[in-house]
Amino acid sequence: MIEIRGLFKKFGDLAAVKDLDLTVKPGEIFGFLGPNGAGKTTTVKLITGLLKPTAGTITVCGFDIASQALAAKRLIGLVPDEPFVYPKLTGAEYLRFIGELYGVALDAQKKRIPELLEMFELSDWSGELVESYSHGMRQKLVLCGILLHEPKVLVLDEPMVGLDPKSGRMAKEILLTLKKRGTCIFMCTHILEIAEKLCDRIGIMIRGELVALGTLEELRSKSQNGSSGLEDVFLSLTGGQEYAGLLKHL
Amino acid sequence: MLRLLIWRRVRSLRNRISSLTSYERARDTAFGLAGLGLLYGLYCGFLRLLAYLATVPLIGNLLLWKLTSMLMLTTLGMVVISSLLTSLSTLYYSYDLKFLMKAPLDLKIIFIDKSLESIFFSSWMIGLILVPFVLAMMKVNDLGWGFFAAFTALMIPFLLIAASVGVAFTVVVLYLFPSSRTRDVIWVLSSLSMTMVYGLIRFSQPERLIRPDALRVVADYLNFLQSPTAPYLPSWWITKALTSLAAGRPTDFMRYSALLCVAAAILYGALVWLAGRLYFRGYSGAQEGPMRRRLTTIERLPEQGWLSGAPAVLFLRERTAFFRDVKHWSQILLILGLIFVYLFSIQRLPMDSPDLRSLISFLNIGTAGFVIAALGLRFTYPSISLEGKSWWVLAAAPVTAREIMRQKLVFSLIPMTAIALTLGAAANHLLRADAFTSWISLASLLVITWALCFMGVGFGALFPMFTVENIHQIESSVGGFVYMAACLFYIGANITVLSWPMKMHFDERFGKLHAWDWPPVALCAAAWLILNALAFAVPWLLGRRALEAHEVH
Repeated sequence: MIEIRGLFKKFGDLAAVKDLDLTVKPGEIFGFLGPNGAGKTTTVKLITGLLKPTAGTITVCGFDIASQALAAKRLIGLVPDEPFVYPKLTGAEYLRFIGELYGVALDAQKKRIPELLEMFELSDWSGELVESYSHGMRQKLVLCGILLHEPKVLVLDEPMVGLDPKSGRMAKEILLTLKKRGTCIFMCTHILEIAEKLCDRIGIMIRGELVALGTLEELRSKSQNGSSGLEDVFLSLTGGQEYAGLLKHL
Repeated sequence: MLRLLIWRRVRSLRNRISSLTSYERARDTAFGLAGLGLLYGLYCGFLRLLAYLATVPLIGNLLLWKLTSMLMLTTLGMVVISSLLTSLSTLYYSYDLKFLMKAPLDLKIIFIDKSLESIFFSSWMIGLILVPFVLAMMKVNDLGWGFFAAFTALMIPFLLIAASVGVAFTVVVLYLFPSSRTRDVIWVLSSLSMTMVYGLIRFSQPERLIRPDALRVVADYLNFLQSPTAPYLPSWWITKALTSLAAGRPTDFMRYSALLCVAAAILYGALVWLAGRLYFRGYSGAQEGPMRRRLTTIERLPEQGWLSGAPAVLFLRERTAFFRDVKHWSQILLILGLIFVYLFSIQRLPMDSPDLRSLISFLNIGTAGFVIAALGLRFTYPSISLEGKSWWVLAAAPVTAREIMRQKLVFSLIPMTAIALTLGAAANHLLRADAFTSWISLASLLVITWALCFMGVGFGALFPMFTVENIHQIESSVGGFVYMAACLFYIGANITVLSWPMKMHFDERFGKLHAWDWPPVALCAAAWLILNALAFAVPWLLGRRALEAHEVH
């Protein structure tokens, strides 16, 4: 599970994350929403140890990401917003690399890598250099890498961007299956439909502050106009409905 | 529309300058001053050489202009090859090309904008190096600033012609073979030709210019000096124009200047006309993704043995990615050329005394060490930064910064040791140095090489640049400058420390009794140990700490 206490992150004078307290439990899918520049990706990078907090603590399955980074990272699977992967490795080589890096047994690698490649329809491409992959294929390859080492905590930053409808559907099914197995899933997304369908709880961040947290029902009751859909809830909380006035300029 | 495109460049430059932080301003000023210092050093070197040549009775003036024509010919060749590589990036792979191609702009306008960028970036540095030469020439021949103004004005059509040839070659090749693979082929071919040009210049023994005895008869030597250096090339026209101006022959100066300007206008005009027909096909082909290349399947990957655990896969990934990058092949070609030329130069050194040969073998620690440092700047120092945007994979993985650095070090140590052994052992063999000096120089060179590798990885980790795409930006960064300065200091300090026992050794050879004074030798040994301990440990530890604290933005 993920436990965040009093988390601050500053870049110079800009506070990207302000006093964030959050717990995501095993077997839970947590959706993290917010407008562009709200601090979602910064939070993802803080949880996975890519950024150091200015203040506060983050523990992953009981391991402090600052002081016990290796133990924590072994349990985390990250899908970043931009799937940059070594261009001069083939897809199969990348997965072997990830397998060895995360200590996956060789027999398990030999069994699972072909299965994962098959599942994401990358088998035909497994011997090609990653530089020849499309954005969506690289995204699928990163997902394969994550599933290969079976992390206890999954941190996803816009995981559906670039996926074709079939792969997107499969990714959703995979997340639900992992959730049933007790994996803790923290997911940033702009696709509200996905958050609405998959997430047990949702947090909305604006300018570095968590302004709303709860189940969809709880957020509905908090919104000003008692909106029914997550989109309306989101817009009412983030103040994004003033665009009507701007549209007249078109 | 061209004015609009130029305006965006001017605005971008202005915004970049105005947004510099005080640290960046200080850094750029320091770099600018260092560059000026380098140019001044070149000026002093050229001045010494030209002043010496000018004193040669009867043929002094001939020698000066012969050297000028050879320098112009070399510049021409270098700008052609440089523009070939630069135009490949700017004309076909610039980040803003997709935007420009979609905009309602005439293709020729886009081509002019991009080709002028290629011409500028491929020639400004080479042209700048000629400035100290011309200033030294002005001083030696007592020429006024009018000569410098004429030189500056003539350099524009001269460099335009040279760079246009390279750009035209790229445009035609990309038109004939419109594929992203063409880029790799051009990389290798241009590096091969650069190696050949470098080798040809060295193997042609330009030192013969100041050693008339090397030619069989005086008549041969005079013929060599008086013959035009490639009379149909612009390098000869610019030399003739400058010679005529210096000799007070305005008609000849005007004739050759006009020839240069008209040739440049015709060539660039023809290039733009040609690009109107050929450019788009090449551009379109270059945008295709890299060709599918079936390299491995999961079944064919090695199973057991040493491919297990993070250290082994980090090393194997490093090796695999390195040899699959065509840019590295071209660098390897250049290194092989450099090694051959280095050893050829050692062999050609005119030395008859065995003592002098041994002394050169000792000083070879410095020159070979400098070669290793330069190779380190190209290969070892950037190795951490070359993880690039994929750095997140390792940063998020359960692997320590120390392990990553260690694998980079191992990957660098192997070839660097081989190169150091080749340069050291082969030089000692060619010089027939005495056994003591040979062993001291070889052992020191090996230790220096290993220390330089530690420093390369350490400084690379201390100044990581994961967001740049061009390796030259990494090399020419502040970190690259600090690494190179530290290397030069370290090599110089090594030679200084070792020169004491070497002096005692030479004293013994010259017959001095009790040449060896052991307390100073012990002091040297202690200083050598401290120096090397610092070189191995300090950059490494600082780099490791910096890499552990590095944030992925």
